[in-house]
Amino acid sequence: MTLIIGVLEQGLIYGILALGSYITYKILDFPDLTVDGSFPLGAAVTAAIVTKGGNPYAAFLISALAGAAAGACTGLIHVKCKVRDLLAGIIVMTGLYTVNYRIAGMANVPLFGSETAFDNEWINQIPQGLASYKTLMVIAVVAVMVKVLLDLYLKTKSGMLLRATGDNERLVTTLAKDSGTMKIIGLAISNGLVALGGSVMCQQQRFFELGMGTGTVVICLASVIIGTSVFKNARWMKATTAVVIGSVFYRACVALAMNLGLETTDMKLIMAVLFLIILIVTADRKKKVRNHA
Amino acid sequence: MKKNMIAILMAAAVLMTGCASSGSGAGEDTSAQSEASSAEETSAEAADGASYTIGISQFAIHGSLDNCREGFLQGLAEEGIVEGENLTVDYKNAESSTEYANQIASDLVSGSPDMICAIATPSAQSCYNAAMNTDIPVIYTAITDPVAAQLANEDGSSVGNITGTSDKLPVEKQLEMIRELLPEAETIGIIYTTSEANSESAIAEYEAAVEKYGFTLETVGISTISEVSLAADTLLAKVDCLNNLTDNTVVQALPTILDKANAQGIPVFGSEIEQVRKGCLAAEGLDYVALGVTTGKMAAQILKGEAEASQLPYESIADSGLYLNTAVAENLGITIPESAQERAIETFAEISAE
Amino acid sequence: MLELKHIDKYYNPGTINEMCLFRDFNLSIRDGEFVSVVGSNGSGKTSLLNIICGSIDVENGQIIMDGKDITGMKEFSRHQKIGRVFQNPAAGTSPGMTILENLSLADNKGKHYLLSRGVNDKRISYYREELSRLRLGLEDKLDVKVGSLSGGQRQALALLMSTMTPIEFLILDEHTAALDPKTAETIMELTDEIVREKRLTTIMVTHNLRYAVEYGSRLLMMHEGECIIDAAGEEKAALNVDDILGRFNEISIACGN
Repeated sequence: MTLIIGVLEQGLIYGILALGSYITYKILDFPDLTVDGSFPLGAAVTAAIVTKGGNPYAAFLISALAGAAAGACTGLIHVKCKVRDLLAGIIVMTGLYTVNYRIAGMANVPLFGSETAFDNEWINQIPQGLASYKTLMVIAVVAVMVKVLLDLYLKTKSGMLLRATGDNERLVTTLAKDSGTMKIIGLAISNGLVALGGSVMCQQQRFFELGMGTGTVVICLASVIIGTSVFKNARWMKATTAVVIGSVFYRACVALAMNLGLETTDMKLIMAVLFLIILIVTADRKKKVRNHA
Repeated sequence: MKKNMIAILMAAAVLMTGCASSGSGAGEDTSAQSEASSAEETSAEAADGASYTIGISQFAIHGSLDNCREGFLQGLAEEGIVEGENLTVDYKNAESSTEYANQIASDLVSGSPDMICAIATPSAQSCYNAAMNTDIPVIYTAITDPVAAQLANEDGSSVGNITGTSDKLPVEKQLEMIRELLPEAETIGIIYTTSEANSESAIAEYEAAVEKYGFTLETVGISTISEVSLAADTLLAKVDCLNNLTDNTVVQALPTILDKANAQGIPVFGSEIEQVRKGCLAAEGLDYVALGVTTGKMAAQILKGEAEASQLPYESIADSGLYLNTAVAENLGITIPESAQERAIETFAEISAE
Repeated sequence: MLELKHIDKYYNPGTINEMCLFRDFNLSIRDGEFVSVVGSNGSGKTSLLNIICGSIDVENGQIIMDGKDITGMKEFSRHQKIGRVFQNPAAGTSPGMTILENLSLADNKGKHYLLSRGVNDKRISYYREELSRLRLGLEDKLDVKVGSLSGGQRQALALLMSTMTPIEFLILDEHTAALDPKTAETIMELTDEIVREKRLTTIMVTHNLRYAVEYGSRLLMMHEGECIIDAAGEEKAALNVDDILGRFNEISIACGN
């Protein structure tokens, strides 16, 4: 049971990140590497706030804003300085390493002595029987809120223009809007969510570690790809829901693999094969649909 | 939806195959539940005093950390808790990833072992966090500053159901030794990884102590292993000797550093036995196996119910030992004073390629 | 009124491949004119449209729209008054969004795209009405993704979208070229209907000489960055396909083709 709770906790936290990556990777078609830096940025900001006794829920918000600023930087570098998408992300990600270090003040900041979103007077009032679920409950509330807000946003005028930007940049221009601005907005929202995920993660694991961002982009993309591929034909399910489920599924695979006694060294290859299988199986289906058509 | 199921089943099949090939004893019938229930059975036995299960979470693949783990099991064995006889060990390595460290922690906790042993800071923090709402004690080792990691109070007492050992470097003794071997030297250079908390606190200690021994300190911080080479070039131009910490990244790149230093005839000092074996001139350092043994003995006390983890203050190794490599000294044309040679616990006459 | 004054346009300026397309090019288009532009490949037809829309910059000269110099204005800003339909039917719509969403997006052109609901339910009946004019049955497919429509359906939708809000200029960039003859005919008729109804000043580049002769109030034939035929009114009415084809052949011979 603890294992399932652990999978759900971690899966939903990465689900928040995956929702962010969904915006850049699926909607804007922008391979954004900033996430490797904005994820620990959210954690660093949170560590700085929480260790000084700041409100842990406010830390969620401030982290998200910091992440949005980082995303906007990537966007500005790409749009205004005409730097290629991958490089713009790498530049910001690299710079954020220093920024994160300066914000946190140390390479490893423990939060064991501080109030977090999962451990404070207010949340600790919940009945004893639910105590072991309180972390999961808070994470689930945050993840669901993010998902619902993102769904709502994508249906607004601005959200629809964002979708159009990834779909067909020219259309946006003929609608007399600057597609560059939309890209910057999209990157800001995306990295805001990733940093929010970093904030949640930092408070859940109770420490900030400067190196915690390495490989984030892979995890995010894996979740997005698994979610959107497996549920491609499930029209009743929103893509955002699929992405969050994809993240939990990915996490379950990692937990299962580890539980079966797999070496962590071997896991990367197994995961790579897993993606490949999912991509092949789902691509196959797409072809068949075309044949029917 | 059928296709989805196929995807999931195939995915599961891949995991199974991987499992079988990894040769773990999990067997054919492998589901999370059967795994968990078998762990419960074992712990039930443990209550009878017959046997124990320990989950080990090690943060990285690293010589010193491996030595810690070996020493830990050795220490337990000396107290009569022997792996394979009355001890089941579930060892997992996080490959330097906090993502995996968290996953491992929750995985270990779900198996309800009698104890979790965490090697290095992030692993200890994840395990302590995951085990916080259970009664599983956590014992850590290879943490330079347990107080800074908030795993111990200022006075060394435990913050919870957790205790362990610190690999705090004997900085003053190291400086004294460098002065003894290199009476003329003025500047010491240190390369360290900015993301490693242990290195950060060690640097702070060196900064505070160098003056007393008549040295000045030059440091270069790096963020990835690829920067080591450049950092070494930068430092070697300004220093009389290099000094290594137990910094994971820098130690991994030790051959690069030694090559460059040797080319310029600049001696490199280590911080533990492995580094001296591989070609550092000398180290006033820790024997990580011994540190592990100490940790293992503490663990045995807790397992046998002789002490509570929350009651045991963390321990540091009181004495450091001098390690020398005479082959390196010869190459560099340095004469090691007899007093030092006599004092050395271990002297290597050759440089190990491994 | 749209005026191009003393336009110079080079490709690859400053390199060994420098190529002059327009030198001191002048053109003025009066309000309400429907200009068809023909010419061989590389004659500068599409570049002309791109210069007007701001998709490419000019080296010298001025572009004046309604008396205002827009030479330095960004491409997207110019589209406040311009609607544009491209040769590629995929270019004028968003394939991942439904017909309804595409129309809603287009319907909001000229206003802010903020956080109000993207689809206005009150407009749906109007959208249906407009779609039914296309006679393609799209009015019953509001929730279908545009990506699954045929090229002709998409182009019709793109035409509708680009003329939905009040604009002054309509730029048609070989917009029937990628369609089968029958669909092209339908789209062309629809174009004429919309242009007349909304009194749009229109510039249409086409390779179909019949369309150029049949539709519009003025005909331009471009060659090497110059207008070699510029016929309006009765002069245009007197032109037939053979006249133009004749000029094409003359040019080709002169060029040694």
